[in-house]
Amino acid sequence: MRKFVLNYLVPRIAQYVLVIFLGVTLTFIIPRLSPNDPVERQVSQLMMSGSHVSPEAIIAMREALTEMYGLSGSVWEQYLAFWGRLLRGDLGPSLSSFPTPVIQLLATAMPWTFGLLIPAVLISWIVGNILGAIAGYYENNRAIQIVDILSQAVRPIPYYIVALVMLAVFAYWIPIFPFSGAYPPGTRVELSWNFAWIVFRHSTLPLLSLILLGVGGWFVGMKSLTSNIISEDYVVYAEVTGLPKNRILSQYIIRNAMLPQITGLALQLGLIFSGALIMEVVFGYPGMGTLTFQAVMANDYTLIMGITLLSIVGVATAVLILDLIYPLFDPRVRHQ
Amino acid sequence: MNRYTLSRREFLAQLGLVTAGAMLTACAGPAAPGGPAQAPGEGAAVSLAGDREIAPGVLRSETLILENPTGRVVPADDFNRWRPGIQSASTGLQQLALDALWYIDPDAGIDGVWDNSLAAEKPIYNEDFTQVTVKLREGIYWSDGVEFTAEDVAYTVETLKATPGMNYNGQFNKYVASVEIPDRYTVVFNLTEPNSRFHGLFTVRWSACFIMPKHIFEKQSDIVAYTFNPPVSLGPYVLKDYDPQGDWYLWERREDWQRTTLARFGMPAPKYAMYIAAGPSDKKVMAQTAGELDVIHDIAPEGMITLARTNPTSKGWFKSFPWAHPDPTLPSVIYNNERPGLDNRDIRWALTLAIDIVRVAMASYRGAATISAIHVPPTGLYPGYYFDPIQDWLNNFTLDLGNGEQYKPYDPEAAQRIAEEARKSLGDMVPTDPAEIRKAIGYGWWKYDLEAAEKLMRKAGCTRNAAGKWVLPNGEVFKIALMAEGDTRPVMNRGAAMIVENWSEFGVDASLDVRDNATRARLTLLGEMDAEFGWTVETWGGHPDLFFFLESWHSSFYRPTGENAVGRNRMRWRHPELDRIIEAIQRLDFDDPKGIELGLEFIKLAVNEMPITPIMSYNVFSVCDERYWEGFPTAENPYTNPVANWANTKYMYVKIKPKA
Repeated sequence: MRKFVLNYLVPRIAQYVLVIFLGVTLTFIIPRLSPNDPVERQVSQLMMSGSHVSPEAIIAMREALTEMYGLSGSVWEQYLAFWGRLLRGDLGPSLSSFPTPVIQLLATAMPWTFGLLIPAVLISWIVGNILGAIAGYYENNRAIQIVDILSQAVRPIPYYIVALVMLAVFAYWIPIFPFSGAYPPGTRVELSWNFAWIVFRHSTLPLLSLILLGVGGWFVGMKSLTSNIISEDYVVYAEVTGLPKNRILSQYIIRNAMLPQITGLALQLGLIFSGALIMEVVFGYPGMGTLTFQAVMANDYTLIMGITLLSIVGVATAVLILDLIYPLFDPRVRHQ
Repeated sequence: MNRYTLSRREFLAQLGLVTAGAMLTACAGPAAPGGPAQAPGEGAAVSLAGDREIAPGVLRSETLILENPTGRVVPADDFNRWRPGIQSASTGLQQLALDALWYIDPDAGIDGVWDNSLAAEKPIYNEDFTQVTVKLREGIYWSDGVEFTAEDVAYTVETLKATPGMNYNGQFNKYVASVEIPDRYTVVFNLTEPNSRFHGLFTVRWSACFIMPKHIFEKQSDIVAYTFNPPVSLGPYVLKDYDPQGDWYLWERREDWQRTTLARFGMPAPKYAMYIAAGPSDKKVMAQTAGELDVIHDIAPEGMITLARTNPTSKGWFKSFPWAHPDPTLPSVIYNNERPGLDNRDIRWALTLAIDIVRVAMASYRGAATISAIHVPPTGLYPGYYFDPIQDWLNNFTLDLGNGEQYKPYDPEAAQRIAEEARKSLGDMVPTDPAEIRKAIGYGWWKYDLEAAEKLMRKAGCTRNAAGKWVLPNGEVFKIALMAEGDTRPVMNRGAAMIVENWSEFGVDASLDVRDNATRARLTLLGEMDAEFGWTVETWGGHPDLFFFLESWHSSFYRPTGENAVGRNRMRWRHPELDRIIEAIQRLDFDDPKGIELGLEFIKLAVNEMPITPIMSYNVFSVCDERYWEGFPTAENPYTNPVANWANTKYMYVKIKPKA
């Protein structure tokens, strides 16, 4: 146990902490390298919105906004203040939605992203891997060949196009699904079965669009892995012994092919924190993707940092958890 | 016999449904405060009259649904309109709940262009414009029952003046020495310096300094952080409910709407108004076709054409082509007048004559542009103020092409040519009556004459190199990068691309420089550009006073390239004659008819010098659906602007009626 902790657990946790530290530092630095200045943006927005602003007023406004946004002082001072706030669980106020705390914006957007992307990733992963394994093993099955062709045909199409086509077909020409949002205007957000049904209906089209392309990716990967594994000695031996084909597929092929797919799944789940930007914009779905888009467009340093931070922590945590549970899937790691 | 009530398959199916439902229900954020608990809108009850409820108790037929062009509002619950960067301005807040002293309509106005809203009469200036007296209306009440008085106006100005970081803080510190309240309905502003346009700060064009409820704000310890939720209304509607995600805002007509300023024109017909984030252009078309969006703020020209062809109840500002409402803004080629080559008036004129306005209009708006040859937009009442009186002068205006050759560059038939080109693809939708074309597509523009442009370039000392490209007198190849918007305004992007193509054909080494809005704003303010396709001319639209944009064109506001421009002089143009005109306008009363004469003098100077090349008004495809409501403003009945985010659109509410 001691050996496991020292040689396996501790290095991984240290690596986890280091990744987050570097990630946070880079997240702090990169927006500041941008030539765009959120203060200047506010000033120019005000000047373009109507009445004239005198030169003295502009100078005073610049100073006031710089102070208000916490952008005064050297970058080093800002960096230290940022870590100080972060360790207290405070990501600061959003600059574009000042003075709303970034945490509040993230908390509002996050459940929507989770609610849609977690099922989309899981369903895609399960369906894609099962179909991929079947396609790799039963190469001559006519039905699976059709799935293969469809998968290969859909996969190269940019997501934006797939989403728009689905929207046009199923929300406009054959209007069986709503075309925008997570619920219709006028609907009160509440915990009820009726509301859940409405959200489910609104989420169906974006969910299907994500699954359609997601399945294709996992399908191709799993088919390729399966194609390699079926020529391994242990599969050939199993076939020679006359084991049922379904058992060979589930117990011998899929179990061995799953390992890289599990890694991929963990990374995908980690990336959920940053949302699905294009999907959310096309379908008008509230979530982290839309928030990211707004933050970048508004040069909102603090919000960009908050979102990126979540993403870094999400991916790093997913990798850490994967490392910790990997021995359960792969006996070779346990033996090492 | 089966021991289980459900088969394994049935069990898994139900488990899946329950899990999915639970997960999605978990997405539900906190309920919006202030509103009663309600059931969802979709699938809600249908009234006896067959009407649909869009929210519990809110009938579709009683609701006007408008686009909020801001889109999703983040955060949704912040209504402090007096803080910079507020995103909820166009959610109905500034249209329905806030009020200002005066309004100037960008079109003809509901009862003339000028409306004394909270003020009982126009501003009363003393002789040297150092003091302004404002008489207020009596009997106007906030939605919580407190009377609106001079205390609110004085509090607004003094509070914003004393709070750094708030809107108008700089202006009030610069201009306001003190505020007096001689009585409950009178406010006197003592100014720090003569300012004949001080009232402009309180006069709504798109927006202005709205009046704060003193009795609410004075209780707050930090007005910068205060979210003003729920907003106490001075307008005829109150906030009934809103989406915690910021996608929609529902307003309800006040029971005491008679105690608001809009009541002078009657009862607002819609019992409810809902402002929604409508998404991109194609979704707005879908929504209006489905009867779910009454007023579209703006869509792509192609979307407008689709609606005109497929949805008979959709109406634009003009009854047919070009449909769009011309905003009182003037997209132009804004040259940096300090760049080599562009500092020469003959070269700027050569570039103007190298632009084919027909192709630019077709590329940007598919012909549905309203062009302008002069430096004011062809919108609102400006055709009468400035365009009609100056046509003779334009027809006789000459340029010296060199060697004494005189040339008349004005093409009075430009709009006709655009109409003819548009008719090729849109057929009968494009008008043929010259008067109608002039009203919709504009007057004339400058000739597309590469021969004349060539002579002007030669006159400026330019030559062509072996590749046929223009070379400046200093020996450098003449390069222009035209900065433009990207996806945010496709019409601007497409127009700029065509101008670049025109110039390239003329032999200028021109390129399109597409930047995001933040970068574009930064670079153009600094003057780090050759030229920009954007606007620096904005007017009141309904009122002829040009001081609105001209003030900051005065040389006292000039900042050289490399320093942030102050106000609108991004082109870095200075001229003694311009200063004289601006100073003369500033000495006049706002309504003095001599202002128009001075405005015409400015236009002649600007045409002669061509510091920027005016192209067209920014046409907004505001589309109103007459399925549920009728009486929307149009070019035939221009009582206000239909563009949904303008505070002036409050006047629309008393003119529209339910569809019979």
